[in-house]
Amino acid sequence: MLEQSVVYLFVALVLIGGCMAAFSRQVLYAIIGLGISLLGLAGLFLSLGSPFVAAMQVLIYIGGITVAIVFAMMLSIAMSVRPPDPDVRKSMFAIGCAVVFFFAVAYLIRDTSFPQVASPASEKAWSVGALGHALLTHYNLVFETLSLVLLLAIIGAILIARKEKT
Amino acid sequence: MTLEAYLIVAAALFALGLIGAMSHRNLIALLIGIELMMNAASLNLMAFNRFVVADPTVGQIFVLIIIGLAAAEVAIFLSIILRLYRAYRDIDAEKLTELSG
Repeated sequence: MLEQSVVYLFVALVLIGGCMAAFSRQVLYAIIGLGISLLGLAGLFLSLGSPFVAAMQVLIYIGGITVAIVFAMMLSIAMSVRPPDPDVRKSMFAIGCAVVFFFAVAYLIRDTSFPQVASPASEKAWSVGALGHALLTHYNLVFETLSLVLLLAIIGAILIARKEKT
Repeated sequence: MTLEAYLIVAAALFALGLIGAMSHRNLIALLIGIELMMNAASLNLMAFNRFVVADPTVGQIFVLIIIGLAAAEVAIFLSIILRLYRAYRDIDAEKLTELSG
């Protein structure tokens, strides 16, 4: 478990990055905001007691997905082009929807009493070894299906993005 | 932090993702909003995993699956973006209207 102040720092990273991603007009800044937000989220996973998922978050999301989005952006948008002027009505509508959603969910969370865990699991059950054991025994089908989905996604992405032979 | 605090953070992140996905016209900005929403869902799962569920591996495996599916989704999405850009020289969602009636 981490210090409380460090956890609040991670929360701040998540929200600041999210704001950058949601409100920035330049796509590159939005991607940087996404990266900051994901980094903070990895810290929150760490604070929830799961270093392996935090490491995967950093490796796959920040190291893989964010970088892939940057590549696609550079291949598809001229960097010098000014972004289109914001559609104020649409932005206001989006912000209104998000505010309504947030306060509705916050109200629900405040009014719900969640059951506390009866007997907290031992630290051993949180170890990477226990996770790997569960993935290869009880959740093996999920694991294999995910690998198949990733293979199909790679093949599909290559098929879609390749140049047509004329 | 308590379970409620984590859930509030996740709801705020989801709301920010919603703003990103609804207010932008650029396809890449839409994708970023969707990613933020998926991550808010993962944070919810991890928080419930810590505070409510007795077996700690379930939530972690859920989050790993979400990360893997997000990787697959992004690969497909980005290849579609590249294809669209090659065909139309633009990735503005409101200009890709060839199929609208």
